[in-house]
Amino acid sequence: MSAESLLPSGFRVLDLGTAMGAFCGKVLADLGMDVVKVEPPSGDDLRNEPPFAKGRNNREGSLRFAYFNSGKRGITLDLRRETGRNILLDLVERADVVIDSHEPGYLEDLGIGYGELVARRPKLVLVSISAFGQDGPYRDYRGPDLVTNAMGGLLFISGDPSMTPCVPPGGQSYVYTCLYSALGTLLALWQRETKGVGAHIDASVQASMALHEHVAFTWSSEARLMKRAGSQHQHVAPANLFPCKDGWISFFATQRHWPIFLDMWEGHPTELDDPALIDNAKRRAAADWLNPMVASFTSQYGKEELSVLFQKHGLPALPVNSPRDFMEDPHIVERGFFGTVEHPVLGSFSQPGVPFLLDGERRGPRPAPMLGQHNAEVLGGELGLSEGDMGVLAAEGVI
Amino acid sequence: MSSPNRILEGVRIIAFTTGYAGPYAGRLLAQYGAEVIKVESFPGGLDTFRHYGAEGDINAAPRFIECNLAIRSMTVNIKHDDGKRIIKELAAKANAVLVNFRPQVLGRLGLGDDELRKVNPSIIILKLPGLGETGPKNWYGTWGFNLNSFSGMTYLWNHPGQDRPIGSQGVYPDHLGFISAPTIMMAALLRQKLTGKGCSIDVSQGEVTAYTLGTSYLESSINGVDPQPQGNRSLTAAPHGCYRCEGDERWCVVSVNSDDEWRRLCGVMGNEALAGDSRFATCVDRRRHADELDAVMSDWLATQTVEDVAHRLQAAGVPAGVVQNGTDLCNDPQLRHRDYFQKYDDSPIGPFELPRGGIIFRDMPEEEIPITPPLGEHTEQVMRDVLGYDEAAIAKWKEEGVLV
Repeated sequence: MSAESLLPSGFRVLDLGTAMGAFCGKVLADLGMDVVKVEPPSGDDLRNEPPFAKGRNNREGSLRFAYFNSGKRGITLDLRRETGRNILLDLVERADVVIDSHEPGYLEDLGIGYGELVARRPKLVLVSISAFGQDGPYRDYRGPDLVTNAMGGLLFISGDPSMTPCVPPGGQSYVYTCLYSALGTLLALWQRETKGVGAHIDASVQASMALHEHVAFTWSSEARLMKRAGSQHQHVAPANLFPCKDGWISFFATQRHWPIFLDMWEGHPTELDDPALIDNAKRRAAADWLNPMVASFTSQYGKEELSVLFQKHGLPALPVNSPRDFMEDPHIVERGFFGTVEHPVLGSFSQPGVPFLLDGERRGPRPAPMLGQHNAEVLGGELGLSEGDMGVLAAEGVI
Repeated sequence: MSSPNRILEGVRIIAFTTGYAGPYAGRLLAQYGAEVIKVESFPGGLDTFRHYGAEGDINAAPRFIECNLAIRSMTVNIKHDDGKRIIKELAAKANAVLVNFRPQVLGRLGLGDDELRKVNPSIIILKLPGLGETGPKNWYGTWGFNLNSFSGMTYLWNHPGQDRPIGSQGVYPDHLGFISAPTIMMAALLRQKLTGKGCSIDVSQGEVTAYTLGTSYLESSINGVDPQPQGNRSLTAAPHGCYRCEGDERWCVVSVNSDDEWRRLCGVMGNEALAGDSRFATCVDRRRHADELDAVMSDWLATQTVEDVAHRLQAAGVPAGVVQNGTDLCNDPQLRHRDYFQKYDDSPIGPFELPRGGIIFRDMPEEEIPITPPLGEHTEQVMRDVLGYDEAAIAKWKEEGVLV
């Protein structure tokens, strides 16, 4: 079985997150909090998002839902109805954290904004995740992942210069912001423990992305615009992807590595021995000339074979893996990064556990909740609603 | 009213960090008030970022300054026996150690987890190596650039149907590392506070990167397919792409997720015929004819100014945005509204501005984040105030090459 959780038990989170905020609750659940996802009775929108398990579009089949909600418990509650909101407020009384990622103003308009929540639960930590922030000129702008990557600056520098900018995979702007929001949540809980006050955190996806890759800093400090460069690093060469017999390898050689590389490459072109090339900037300036020569060397090898050879010489290199290559890598297998999840509908499958070992052991993955799976446990068992009450709520469509 | 920059007041962390991820992780904890004592040394080794772009001035490397705001800088030669002793004395008075050296580097110097936990059983030791401390490839040297390719991120970060991978010029796994490490550190600090327990945590930056790609691995595990790059295409939205506008390298993204948004887009385009075009009537139709739709969008946006059209689209309820470059970010009214940039007028690299971060604690005023100190700025202060040594002892150790 898997290791203990990092956080001691007892921290309770109500997760009202949509697709934008779902990963924040997952991170907190993986760290050991009891995260209860609150969905409308028709189900979270993410349940309708492909890709689906075995092509089946049903409420439990979305793989994005399954991953981003793994480790949470799940209840249904219609927050557009007063009865639903009252039950939510009863739950808030017992919670430490509420996560929300509806558009700014949504909860206020329902009468369950920060003020109302804190009135019921002083010292609450409310985490509001939105595309641009809770106020300001772009507050009401819509922010799908493509838009927030663009407005946050990462898209402009991503991709081959001869092609259209290319967005990173897997909804990274949301994922990154959720990690930032999880940090904020824990800082706020620390503040509550030490100073006895709650907090309202305003997380912005755009702001979380705009600190990446020194894009803003390079302009503000050097008045230089970073541009698309494919996979060529801006300061170092060779620092790029190079062809192998069976795929590609990433190789990154700073001035410390350059002489080692020349030493291991028997019969390298003599012009590479130019002492001026020791300097990072000189090699970077010569990258268009240098890279094809490096490629002539790398293409003699297989990618795994070459990465071992490079590493044995102390040179940073790793193969370009597909997702499946990564899952099958012996290092990842031995560290037990993937664990088995048993899900009533999806069956048994491999999923990442937490990305760290705690005293040498890893906490494995857990399944996402099915729609309303924990209604009886949470609303009945913990909140004390009777079976009769629950039946009425279900009949009225509140749960 | 308290400030977010003082939340971690009283928390002391010893940092053995170099490069991007480790130092920035320390900076984030320092920015929120922790006393992060970064240990470097001339004979023992300096942070590699001190050597980039600084004409030999180790205190004027821009990337080093960016990643080490608000820390305290201490020089201790940890290869010297007295240096080791000083680190152990410091560990006895610290909450945590943060380290992103290669595995076993501290252990070989006699400053491994066991030694540190012996002097302080409740200490947290958080390690952030590239591929983790254990496993057959734990000895590999890696940069964030390499970890991107190892995890599958590079493979997936591409347009569909290309004959070569592209990925990124950057080091995205470093970003994931420096946001994950303080998050995990905070959980460990709460555990320490509530239970008194210490721990050793081995965070693999490669695994942190893969942790964000879970859906892709589920596609492989559940559906038996190896996921392929989608580029700017979406499984649900169309049009969904990045289109060239007037000017040099000016681009606009548009993401239409519903029929309602489609009608609004056609309205902004002033194209009634398009709204009635049966090829594009529903989401399913639009995705089926995505190539034709992209051609329509490209033709239209090529005649538009992005600063104008992106905002007109948003005002009409169509998700769209400027593909912002460094200048755009620095002038962005929304980021300015959030007081996003902290200005430094006086620094070894001249005036500049830096992003504060992605989150705001509402109704809690932020303070200035202190500028990165010169190397060794706090050596004497730590020796005196934290460890209680007098001037004579400090002077002696400086002369003997311990505090340099």
